[in-house]
Formats: sequence, C-alpha cells, structure tokens
Amino acid sequence: MEFFLILGLLASAFGLVSAKRLSVLIGNFSLQSLLLAILTFVEAVNLGQLGLCIIALLVLALKVVIIPKILSNITKEIKVNDNLEFYLNPQLSLLMALLLTYLCWTFASVIFVESDAVAKMCGAVSFSMIALGMFLMIFRVKALAQIIGLLAMENGVFLLAALVLNGMPFLVEMAIFFDVFVGVVILGVFVYRINRLFVGIDVSKLNRLRG
Amino acid sequence: MLNTYFSLVFDPLAVFFVITILTISIPSFIYSLGYLKGHYSTRKIVLGQFLFGLFVLAMLAVVTAGNIFFFLIVWELMSLSSYFLVIFDTENKKSIEAGTIYMVMAQIGTAFLIAAFLLMYQQSGSFDFYVIKQALVSLPIQQKNILFLLLLVGFGAKAGIVPLHIWLPYAHPQAPSHVSALMSGVMIKTAIYGLIRFVILILGVNALWWGELVIVLACISCLVGILNALTEHDLKTLLAYSSVENIGIILLGVGAAMIFIKLGYPVLAVLAMGAGLYHLFNHAIFKGLLFLGAGSIYNATGSRNIEKLGGLINKIPWTSSYFLLGSMAISALPPLNGFVSEWLTLLVLFLGALTLGGGLKLFFCFSAAILALTGGLTAACFVKAFGITFLGQARSVKVEQAKECGLAMNMGMAILAFLVVILGLGVVFFIKIFGFVAGFVMGVDASLIRFSLNSFVISLPLANNIFLATPQLLLLLLLCAVFAFVLLNLFFGRAKVLLGKTWDCGYYKLTSRNEYTATGFSKPFRLAFSFFLLPYRKLNKVKESFYHVKNFYYETHTTKIFMDYIYRNLLGSTFRLAGSMRGIQTGSINIYLGYIFLTILLLLVFRGIF
Repeated sequence: MEFFLILGLLASAFGLVSAKRLSVLIGNFSLQSLLLAILTFVEAVNLGQLGLCIIALLVLALKVVIIPKILSNITKEIKVNDNLEFYLNPQLSLLMALLLTYLCWTFASVIFVESDAVAKMCGAVSFSMIALGMFLMIFRVKALAQIIGLLAMENGVFLLAALVLNGMPFLVEMAIFFDVFVGVVILGVFVYRINRLFVGIDVSKLNRLRG
Repeated sequence: MLNTYFSLVFDPLAVFFVITILTISIPSFIYSLGYLKGHYSTRKIVLGQFLFGLFVLAMLAVVTAGNIFFFLIVWELMSLSSYFLVIFDTENKKSIEAGTIYMVMAQIGTAFLIAAFLLMYQQSGSFDFYVIKQALVSLPIQQKNILFLLLLVGFGAKAGIVPLHIWLPYAHPQAPSHVSALMSGVMIKTAIYGLIRFVILILGVNALWWGELVIVLACISCLVGILNALTEHDLKTLLAYSSVENIGIILLGVGAAMIFIKLGYPVLAVLAMGAGLYHLFNHAIFKGLLFLGAGSIYNATGSRNIEKLGGLINKIPWTSSYFLLGSMAISALPPLNGFVSEWLTLLVLFLGALTLGGGLKLFFCFSAAILALTGGLTAACFVKAFGITFLGQARSVKVEQAKECGLAMNMGMAILAFLVVILGLGVVFFIKIFGFVAGFVMGVDASLIRFSLNSFVISLPLANNIFLATPQLLLLLLLCAVFAFVLLNLFFGRAKVLLGKTWDCGYYKLTSRNEYTATGFSKPFRLAFSFFLLPYRKLNKVKESFYHVKNFYYETHTTKIFMDYIYRNLLGSTFRLAGSMRGIQTGSINIYLGYIFLTILLLLVFRGIF
C-alpha cells in the first residue's frame, strides 16, 4: 500500500515536470497533495498518532482544495494564456527528471545505509520531489510555475519529515502550514502585481534589477 | 566570564599612554567649547561632543585593554567614532570621500590585526596578554616573522607609515580642528602603542631585521611626509603630512631600541626607546597645538589655504604666538620640546653608529643623515607655513576683517603652548620619567641606569661629553639677543622706524597679489626633489594681440606618487575584477534559481563521493 503511494508521489512529480498547461500543472499538484495526505493518514493510523491524523486532514484541506483553488482563480482572473512556456521542452525535462531521480537515489542510499527498503525509497522519493520542484522553478517561464515548484518542494520536505523522521512536533507542522498558506497568498498578490506591471506573468521580463 | 574578556592593564606603558591621551584631550575639549559654537547647530554640537567623548574613551580603552579580544573591540570602536567625526560635515562631499578612504584603510589594517591575533590565539588558546606572551616563546621563528609583519602592516595602516599613509592627508583636514588635533596627536600614537605592546613586549624582538625594517620604513616616512608637506598649501593637510614625518621620527627611536635590545645593549635600548616616547609625547602636544591654531585661523578667516591668508599676526596676535611656538617646536628649535626629543633621537643614532660595527655603523649613519635632512626640511616647511600665513599683507578681504577667537579656544591653545615650553625646559626631570617607562618596555630596570645629572646637565656614563641643558640654551639665546641688541645700538644708535611704501620701480600699484607666495617659496624644493615630487604645470594664455597678453592662467601641482601609481592601480584592478564577475549576473530569476540548484547538486555529488 505505502509502496504504491510513494511510487504515485514520484509519478505525480514527473507529471508536474512534463505538464504543458497551467491547469494540468495545478491539477497534478493537487493529485500529489492528495496522495501525500493519504500516505500521512495511513502512517498516522499505523502509528496510532492523533496529531499526524490532524495534519493529514490539514494537508487535504489546504493543499488539495484551498491552494489549487486560489491558484486556478488567479489564472482565471488575470486571463493568462493557459500554455506554460518552457526553457526546456517536456520530453527533455522528463529525461532530466529521470537523471535527477537517479542521482537522488544514489544520494539517499548513501545516507540511509542502515534503513529498510521502504524508508530508503521514501528518502529517495522525497529528495526527488524536492529536486524536481526546483527543476520546475528553473525551467518554466510563468510565475505560477515557480509557485507550484516551491509548493512541490515543500511537499518533498513534508514527506521527508513525516515518514523518514516520524513526524516533526505538532506545533512546528502547524507553523509550516501557516507559512505555506501565507506564502501562497503573498505570491498570489505578487503575480497580480507582476501581471499589471509587465503585462503578463513571464519572469523572464523581471531582469531590470541588474546593476 | 566577563572578567576574562574585559581585563585591563595598568603597567607603566599603559599609564604613560593614558596620560598622553588625557594631556591632549582636555585642552582639545576646552577648545571645542568655543570652536563648535560658531560653526554648528546645538543638536550637532551635542552629537559632536558625544562622539568626541566616545572617541577619547575608546582610545583610553585601547591602551589599557588587557586581552586581545577586548583590544580589538575598542580598536574598532576608536576607528568608528573617529570615522563619524571625520564625516561630521556631512553636507561636504570631500568629507564623505575622506571618511571612505579612512575607513577602507582602517579596515585593511584591522584585517591584518585580526589575522595576527588569530595566530596568537591559536598558539596560546587564550586572549590574555600574559598567557599569550608565555605561549609565543615556543613559536618557530618563521611564524614569528609572519606575526611581526602582520602586526607591522596592521598597526602601520593606523600610524600612517609610508606607503599606508594616504588616509592622513584626507581624513585629518576634514574633521573639526579639535578632533584633528586628537587624531593626529594621539590616535595615530595608539598604533605605536600597539607596536610596542605586541612586538616588543609580547612577541619579543627575535630578529635583527625587524628593527632594521622599522628604521628603513621610518626614514622613508620622514622624507615622504615632509616633502609632501613642503609643497602643500592647505594648512591642515600640511600638518597631516607632517604627522607622517613625525611618526617616522618616533619609529626611528623605537626601531633603534629594537636593534639595540637584540644585540644586547640594554642601556642604549632604554635611551632609544626613551627618545622615541619623548618625541611621541612632544609631537602629541605641538601637533595638537598646531591643529588647534589652524582651527582658530579657519575660525577667523574661513579659509585653510595659506595662499589666501597673510598678515594675520596683527589681527590675531594670540593665535599667532601660539602657532609660532608650535612651529618652532616642530622645527626642533632650542630650547623647546621638539628640539629635545629630536636631539635625543639623533644622539641615539650617533651612539648606534659609534658603538656598533660593520654594516650597522653605516646604517645608523645614513639614518642620522636622513633625520638631519628631515629636520632642515621641517624648518623650511614651517617657515613657509608661518611666514605666508601670518606675515606680509592680507591676501583677501576676509583676512583683513579677522578677529581673535574666544576665551575657551585661547585657553585650550595656551595650555598646550605652556606644555611645549615646560617639556623643553624641564628635560632633566622628564627624561627620568620617560627613561622609567622605556626601561619597563625593554625589560631593564631603569633605576640602575644613571643619567648622571649635575645641576642642569644630563650626561650618559657610556657616552661622555654629551650635554643637554635647555635652560642654559635659552639663557644663551637671550644673552646673544641682548648682546646683539646692545651692539647694534652702540654702533648705529637707536633704531628709527620709518613707515613707507615698498619701492616698486615707480609702478606705485603694488597690492597683496604681488606678495611672495607659498608656491614660490617651495619652488626650490620642488625642483631639488623633482625626482620624487614630479611637479607639472598648466599654462593658459589668452592673447589680445601678439604683444599683449590679456589673461594668464598658471597652475602647478606635484604628483601624489603613492595615490596615483599604487592605489589607483589597485583600485582599478579591483573594479575590473568585480566587473568581470558581472557576467554571471544576468538578472533572470530562472538563472539564479539554477545557480542554487547547481550548488545543491554539486554538494550532493560531493557528499556521495566522500
């Protein structure tokens, strides 16, 4: 069960990298968060921890429903073209993603030498999710992709914390959720401003700061 | 815990510097009460006095700090508070520029000091002076050499040793005058304190070439400082350059002491160090006096350019007399204090040449020759400074309306002027005190060394026939003057004073513009030392016809070799290097994210390999 969920997470990360449209990107992120919530819930039941249960519910509410809703609202409101623009096309991106996953796997197997196979795999996948989120931020032009990339990285960190390290203190998790939520709101406002100022949300236009 | 970081020392050396600082600070403070009032708003005065107090406190803490950690903190506090005093005239662009140059040089110096202190800490595992001293004994000689060079550059930047002197002529003139007096008189001396404390007391003199290097640098500082001062027309810049020269004279004493102690001549070492400390104290006093005098001139006329002054001796007689006294002292005229200490330094160099053999004999001879040349050039420099500023006729309207400054300013100068005379006449008494401090520094019990005193004459047992008796000299000078006066009266009768115009070949239109200028006065020196000063001129004639020149424009400058050839190149190459780094700054968010990602990847690979 857990094994398939983890694989699903990796698959959704690949999905993020190979997405061609904004709506697909947001949907993929929602799917990834859903898988993460289920995984956390299963883990919580296994460990019998109420705190982790609540966190899983929070993931479900925040990352599966609210944040994707906010992001898709933004895209509708500023009437941006649904096409993602690329610095690297989806096919090549997927290839790179495979390479990165391999790298993360070797890295994880160096770190989690003494752990069992699932934990090792879990570490590798969470590293991959972080790396692919970063990859998304680098090679996509539209500012919304940067937001999604950041959130995907956060998902990876969450997976690492929740499963490999058996969860962080409840208070810390809550704080992180609050941070993410506020971050999304602020970034959303920024996207509005960028759209108004530069007519479009291409971050490639934001190079006037150069000294 | 707090104790280990904030211990103080009050040994003779520290106390000597505390006294030096207070001796200059108190008159400067009295002076500032009058000086600041005329130039700044009340708010600014409060700020200025606060910074002034902080500055003095920091200097006191520097010379009494008992461990390197505390020393470094107060050292930086001293740099910072003086930096804010340098940029006190914030609306003046020159002040900001001067402050920047000062801060950069101060930071370079501190960087070297931190390196040296880290080496010390690594060796000893403690910040305390005493523990470090114990631990450094077992350090290999190569590391000691490195430590010495680091300390020399670090403190040299603050002291203004050539070629690290470039900040002095910028920073000192821009600060308010009472602060310049303190910076030039005392602050640069804290660097000498650092050299004595860390190199001689803690590190110990381990190689002969340390002392030789210090003396060579001192000689260069002497000549470079005074030659630049000679061609300078801004009164305070001139004084700043002269500080470079005087630091050189002080270091001649200190360097000679290092050589003597290494070769095992403790008595000579004490005398050399005593001469150095004596000159340090004297320079603090007369340079303070001269800077305060320059401030009074600025206060009265609104100008520091001596080409625009002239004839001030009748307008501001008190300031003139103080300035004259200071100029005489700095030119080493007997019986004032500058003469005493410069004479002692010269004596030390001669004794070195007489006692030591081989190459060192020649080395000391050359040093003595350079000191003598410096003395002569100093006299010329201050004849120019005093003569053009105070004598002749006023060169501008403002000078004609100049008024004597207030009581507080006069008081401040009077105290220092009094000390100039006292330190000159009371040499017999003071040499014992300086000898005691020097004895402590060199690790010799100075009370065992007899400076044999008979009535008002000092003579050293090991150097016969050397006498120094300033009161007698004064008497002799007075007698000579009286004798000459009597003789003149005898032969030519009573002097008759005739007032009339200067004969001007029947032109009858001589004005103050026809007066001899400072540029003209220093021309022979510009020519004689043109290989170093590299003078150049700008000429521009506007002709009405072939025969008649309507306008004539003439400018002459000297090249600032160190600034133009060394520092500008350094600065240029730094900027070029920084410019070549701009290639990676594309301004694109994606690329920046890429940099971060690449770094993480590289770190991962790195982690995977190792």
